Amino acid sequence: MKTLKWLFSVYIRPYAGRMIFALCLTMLNTVLSNIRPYLSGRIIDDVFYNGMQNRLVTLVILMFLSIVLKDIFRIIDHYILEGTSQKVVYNIRVALYKSLHKLDFDFFDHNRTGDIMNRLSGDIDSVRHFVAWVLNGILENSCLFLSALFILGFINWQLTLCLLAVTPVIAFFAVAMGKRVGPAFRNARQKLSGLNTVVQENISGNRVVRAFAREDYELEKFDRANLEYRDANIASNRIGQRYIPILDTLANSLNVVVMVVGGIMVITKQMSPGEFVTFNTMSWALNTPMRNVGWLINDSLNAVASGEKIMEFTLERPRIHTEKEHVEKESFEGRVEFRDVSFSYGEEPVLDRVSFTAVPGQTVAIIGETGSGKSTLTNLICRFYDATEGQVLVDGIDVRQLNLRALRRSISIAMQDIFLFSDTIEGNIAYGVPDAPFERVVEAAKMADADGFIRGLPEGYDTIIGERGVGLSGGQKQRIALARAILKNPSILILDDTTSSVDMETEHYIQQTLKKFSAGRTTFIIAHRISAVKDADQILVMEKGRIAERGTHDELLALGGRYKEVYDTQYGNFDAEPVKGGVR
Amino acid sequence: MARNKFDVDEKLESSFSFDHIKRLARYLIPFKWLMFATIGLMLLTSVLNMLAPMITREAIDVRLPAGDKKGILVLGGIMVAIYLINAVIVKFRMVTLVKVGQSLVANLRRDIFKHLQILPFDFYDSRPHGKILVRVINYVNSINNLLTGGLINLITDLFTVVIILVLMFTLSLKLSLITLGGVFVFGGIIFAMKNKQRRVWQDYSAKQSNLNAYIHESICGIKVTQSFSREKENQRIFETQCENVRTSFMRAKIIDICNWPMVETISTITTCIVFLVGGADLLSGSGAITTGTLVAFVGYVNMFWTPVLSLCNYYNQLINTAAYLERIFEVMDTPATVEDLPGAVEMPPIKGDVDFRDVTFAYEEGVNILKGLSFSVDRGKTIAVVGPTGAGKTTIINLLSRFYDIQGGEILIDGENITRYTLRSLRSQVGVMLQDTFIFSGTVMDNIRYGRLDATDEEVISAAKTVCAHDFITTLENGYYTEVNERGSRLSVGQRQLISFARALLADPRILILDEATASIDTRTEQALQTGLARLLKGRTSFVIAHRLSTIRGADNIMFIDGGQIVESGTHEQLMAQKGRYYSLCTSQYELG
Repeated sequence: MKTLKWLFSVYIRPYAGRMIFALCLTMLNTVLSNIRPYLSGRIIDDVFYNGMQNRLVTLVILMFLSIVLKDIFRIIDHYILEGTSQKVVYNIRVALYKSLHKLDFDFFDHNRTGDIMNRLSGDIDSVRHFVAWVLNGILENSCLFLSALFILGFINWQLTLCLLAVTPVIAFFAVAMGKRVGPAFRNARQKLSGLNTVVQENISGNRVVRAFAREDYELEKFDRANLEYRDANIASNRIGQRYIPILDTLANSLNVVVMVVGGIMVITKQMSPGEFVTFNTMSWALNTPMRNVGWLINDSLNAVASGEKIMEFTLERPRIHTEKEHVEKESFEGRVEFRDVSFSYGEEPVLDRVSFTAVPGQTVAIIGETGSGKSTLTNLICRFYDATEGQVLVDGIDVRQLNLRALRRSISIAMQDIFLFSDTIEGNIAYGVPDAPFERVVEAAKMADADGFIRGLPEGYDTIIGERGVGLSGGQKQRIALARAILKNPSILILDDTTSSVDMETEHYIQQTLKKFSAGRTTFIIAHRISAVKDADQILVMEKGRIAERGTHDELLALGGRYKEVYDTQYGNFDAEPVKGGVR
Repeated sequence: MARNKFDVDEKLESSFSFDHIKRLARYLIPFKWLMFATIGLMLLTSVLNMLAPMITREAIDVRLPAGDKKGILVLGGIMVAIYLINAVIVKFRMVTLVKVGQSLVANLRRDIFKHLQILPFDFYDSRPHGKILVRVINYVNSINNLLTGGLINLITDLFTVVIILVLMFTLSLKLSLITLGGVFVFGGIIFAMKNKQRRVWQDYSAKQSNLNAYIHESICGIKVTQSFSREKENQRIFETQCENVRTSFMRAKIIDICNWPMVETISTITTCIVFLVGGADLLSGSGAITTGTLVAFVGYVNMFWTPVLSLCNYYNQLINTAAYLERIFEVMDTPATVEDLPGAVEMPPIKGDVDFRDVTFAYEEGVNILKGLSFSVDRGKTIAVVGPTGAGKTTIINLLSRFYDIQGGEILIDGENITRYTLRSLRSQVGVMLQDTFIFSGTVMDNIRYGRLDATDEEVISAAKTVCAHDFITTLENGYYTEVNERGSRLSVGQRQLISFARALLADPRILILDEATASIDTRTEQALQTGLARLLKGRTSFVIAHRLSTIRGADNIMFIDGGQIVESGTHEQLMAQKGRYYSLCTSQYELG
């Protein structure tokens, strides 16, 4: 009920006028549809049996006109209904998409792509069906039923009452069916999500599947999901299969009642034969709605189940958002300070009382073991997550007090896990600044040493690259991501392992250009190669969520700790024989 | 390679053909007896339904005037019997249709999925993944009713139309021809609209596919979008796409909407003509037509158009779903470029000698990536492949697993051309750790076990220990049983690399290929990892692509690749002494400020 109320008040109300107009047309059409049989009857009675020949042409023209009129109404009616339902769907989709973009990283860490996609496609479609047809069907059938009831009640109320005796039984079965359809339908939708996920992962992970020759295993996994979905569908249909024939038979039983009770009433002179015939011809108007009630309930409940999912989604509130009372600040200098920052994903502690300060113009390098919290640290600056304890400050203000969009606009991050869009290379580089002139795109690409290889591609900057940048090598993807981050011209630049897959010469070149670029901004570089971090003003060595060592390259070498150890592994024996290691 | 992006409609060259329908119909073969039975029962229902008016007439004309109460009760009893039989048939029909329809869809989906497994990387690289997904899931679902409910209705409707036509012709040839004329006009209009209608539905399906691709990409790239504050721009694109879907739907739907009114108008016109012509005949007293005949005939005309309309609806449905069907079969007809050759045999256990002889390769015709590349590697050796990005390093190792077929030359393992063997037996012995790590949704345990499905938990853990992944895995919430999703949430790229490393190792490959497998792993872990590996990989051939000196240095042979050719080759010491490309590459990293 809550779902329906939400659907009506938010999405259908704006189109209420249109919907009511369409529903009126529907009713008008129901009435008009009786005209043709009536006129047909008149032609036969008046012209052929009673010889009123002069009426033939008039009646024929009347019949023709009434049908044309009705058909025009019908087209308008359906056009409005379909059109409105499309608009409603459009609005729901747009709203869903909007709330999607507001949700926290955390949400996407916990929800599968397949599930989210289902909200935006399958679930929305069952709402569309509801708005376009079910609502209308409910009204049409009620009108039909009530008008028939009224007319028949007028002719003979005793027989009408007899007919009505069936209604409670029908209602009983219809409600029973409704109760059971919901869960079964939800189950089928869940199985569809599962299937969606299997197929989607198979497509995204196609390289891994091939590399391990796991096609058979994938097929097995798929078969399971596919058959589960099939069986869930069959099971959800089974409820209809049980109840629909019963409802059908009950509806049909009205004809028997008319025949037997009505027939006996005629014989006992309580009813005229003419009235009997009327009852007989009009009983369809009573039993058709009864027959449809099952389907209508079925489809309505499907829409409710889907609507629930959609509502859940739009009502999902991001934990990270701009506070009502925030500091209005559009441009940032880029001073970053961590004060005793701790962070954990659920139970797992990731950062443990981290403190440091970075001032504009400085480059801060972060080095440390896999999983030591390097990326998390930078994620907190962008406020992708909120610190569990302590404060993250940008320009001296707690990030939680800043306008989220303004903050993120002034930060560029080239993430470790590079995602490129299936768009042209130009479009990808200009992702953060869609209206950037072409020259600036090229300039950014040059700084990232990407211009050369891009121009070597068949269509240069207009080359469309596949989703996730498949088709490009790791180093090429990294350089495009770097250009993308540079183009945004941020106050704070974060490079998370951005040059790990580029060769050493290229890395060297990129470092030189970055040196110029980083003047006046704060740059964070996460890397594993000493060559990438050695020139930084400040190097943080992370270990298990803490800053274990900090200082410049020379200071850290002098310290002789972890950093020195890494340095030795990478360079120490440069001229000597390799001691051990090396993949053998 | 022609790539497709989210806002470009996919072109489709093939024209509408009933072959697609025929092909789909083959999926019905396993259910043919069930289908025949259902059709038989449906015909029985039509006959029973035709009986109902006769019972009413019997009551009105005979029983009521006679005051025959018992007769009325008997008639009521007959009706109850008919309705009960009807209920059973309705139930049977519903059960059959759901069963057949769902099974058909499941089988079709299985076939398309199975075919996807043999399609080349190209196929996946050249279009948004959302567009592939929508075919397997949504398009296949929309086929559901076409051949089950639709087909059965088609047959019963045809049956009804034929019976009524026969009855009409026995009544009056002239009036029947008039009615048939209406049908032809109607058919003509439908036929004339065929191409237009097909185009609009295709357009709709293309727009739907675009929208789906965009949604898919938006979800996968959401973190980038948020970090670049691109929400507004994306919202605008999305709204345009939704609008495109909406307008294309309405353009297609308007034809549907006009269908029934058109039928009704045409049927009314024919009825009017029947009245006029029949009336004129009757009134002129020529005796060709009697009043009774005319009344009966008009009755039949009314009955005649309903099934004609459902036939027309069925035709519409056919056209609509054909747009989806084409896309489905298009995927199923995409040839697999790399396949087992006829007579391919199982590969015996690999010893590890690898030979490239004059290998030429191009992803796109004319743009050779490798030009006459030759080298040979003895079993048990470690080869490091270095060179600028885009030099062709990944290509070389992709060829070894036969992810692509070469245009010239030969690739030999243990002296035999790799095309002699089945892909399965080759790939299961060549372990590749790809640049793109991919984590499946499921537990960490499942993800590592992907390398060898029958591995015990202990084996999985020991593989994880070898690659130094054990430590971080045990700190996760549920250790090895922690659920990760397909985007590998919460795991850093380095951790993901360790997991896929363990996965590759568990497969116990005879040849191991590491394509920047450790780029995001810190030096310390990498060192520990390599020590562990060195023990394990003794006697196995391995190829390593890396940029970090510490990774490359220890290789038995280093190949410097540029422009698809080997520029330099030798051990670290030899190459350093040569003071060539490798030397300058190393010193650039070594250059300390």
